[in-house]
Amino acid sequence: MERVIGESKKSFMTGNEAAAWACLAAGADIMFGYPITPQNEIMHYWTRMAPKYGKGFLQTEDELSAGFTVCGGVQSGKKAFTATAGPGNVLMQEPFGMAEAMRLPLLAIIQQRGGPSSGTVVYSQQEVTLTTYGGNGEGHRIVYSTSTHQEIFDYIIKGFNSAWTHRFPVFILGDGYQAKMREPLEMYDPEDRGIEMVKPYPLIGLGGKIGEDRGPSHLCNIYSLEEELYEVITKVQAEYDALAPQITEYEEKFCEDADIILVTHGVVSRAADDAVKALRAQGIKAGYFRPITLRPFPQKELRAAIAKSGAKKLLVAESAIGQLERLVKQEIYGETVKMETLFMPGVGIIESDLIDKVKSVL
Amino acid sequence: MIFTFEENSRIVEAYIGEYASGKSEMAINRALELSNQGRRVTLVDLDTVEPFYTLRPIKNQLEKLNLNVISSSREDSFGLGETGAMLNPRARWALRNEGDIILDIGYGVFGAQTLNLVEDIDQTPEFKVIAVLNASRPMTNSLDRILEYVEGLGRVDAIVANTHMGDETTPEIISAGNEIIVEAARILQLPIIYVAIIDELKDRKINIFDLPVKYIKRYMPSAMW
Repeated sequence: MERVIGESKKSFMTGNEAAAWACLAAGADIMFGYPITPQNEIMHYWTRMAPKYGKGFLQTEDELSAGFTVCGGVQSGKKAFTATAGPGNVLMQEPFGMAEAMRLPLLAIIQQRGGPSSGTVVYSQQEVTLTTYGGNGEGHRIVYSTSTHQEIFDYIIKGFNSAWTHRFPVFILGDGYQAKMREPLEMYDPEDRGIEMVKPYPLIGLGGKIGEDRGPSHLCNIYSLEEELYEVITKVQAEYDALAPQITEYEEKFCEDADIILVTHGVVSRAADDAVKALRAQGIKAGYFRPITLRPFPQKELRAAIAKSGAKKLLVAESAIGQLERLVKQEIYGETVKMETLFMPGVGIIESDLIDKVKSVL
Repeated sequence: MIFTFEENSRIVEAYIGEYASGKSEMAINRALELSNQGRRVTLVDLDTVEPFYTLRPIKNQLEKLNLNVISSSREDSFGLGETGAMLNPRARWALRNEGDIILDIGYGVFGAQTLNLVEDIDQTPEFKVIAVLNASRPMTNSLDRILEYVEGLGRVDAIVANTHMGDETTPEIISAGNEIIVEAARILQLPIIYVAIIDELKDRKINIFDLPVKYIKRYMPSAMW
């Protein structure tokens, strides 16, 4: 694989640029996309760099086509990806559902923006439900919620490998703030970190004779009988459940003796991290739990954190009205810890918002 | 703080550069420098694609510092969202303002092209296009990349060397960046009008290659959006 970054050094850039560079470093072959704020610079930077590295780009007529062309691209054995946001993410749910059904190694970067509909062009965390469970299906997806530019870079590299290893569509869930803000990160070629990139391989047009040289390449997204669909989904669900423990990622701090655990994801967890440290300094026993994968959700780990801390309360905070909270509720059903919430749809949550909330409920 | 006392009758400068090159900081610092010399200064946010984000959050703060700021404000927003990619008429006619005009050109990938939208720009002999270079940016982190980048910008009259890493800027990072930028400027035959260094590093040893230095204050970190 061609080296893109060379000697690893720190760079100062936007999250969108970090995403474009990460795709390049991960050996992506082609991007299909349609412009939408706040992910535009992923496309801009990809198109600036692609010709220099012999990579491809196609701007399709809309997001439906962008999603489906990625589905086609990966079937032909190309490491293809897309990036979108908001209403674009809505439109792409049909191809994303197809990728789930056909087990296609699709990778999509989602920079969440405000809704409903076209809403605003920058920040929110309102695409959690859509990205984890959108589409007519069962949410057989891997969703990484990043919180820093370094993570955008790291998880895109990891995400391509997850997609091509497990054959579930992978989502890198950022947001308008992460897309646009500037901060340093260290870019690298995966091989320099001992990361071996999974080579893409064609899923159709394979050589050999079916039944003799190889089994059939059975890529199907439509079933004629209800029972047939039942069998397929049940089997995929079992595979997803079996893989979940090795895919699940989370971050936990100060939960050993916490009276209250802050549960946040994405960029809000940066504020939670600061808030927990500040609260501890004031003698308030706050803990921090952050699901990095929203699908599959670190259910066992969150239950364990509640159990070991003996926390009286959870505080779920997000820039949405309960999209993370609903995930948490379904995943820890049966726990008796009291849940408090801080919902600030469309706007950022900062350290002081969380500190004030914690003090008001303890 | 006065670094260079300007005697020119009128100063019209446009700052262009990559995302995070520091063009907005350079434009703000330059506008305030001139304003502190008793000059009348208009600072123009010329981001046509996302007009409500660049300088808007700190518009009031800058106005209190005696700048006339042309930037879209919350009251100007009437729900166009991204479909409202638009040119603020006050920005379009900015050159008709009296006094000095400092233009902050947003949206890095289009370079100097956006300037075509400003009325009378081709009839303003004092007008200068200044490219802000940050060698911590991946597109401008080597000699070859800087040459390619600057040549793609269109008209450039001068360079500001502004290598930085946000909060993690060190004298070593600036010195290493200056080395590349100085060589690039020599090949491009463009003057480096100054090296920008954040105030906090004023007393540190930084290789500035005998170029003029401007110590700058950062305003953009408070422009959270």
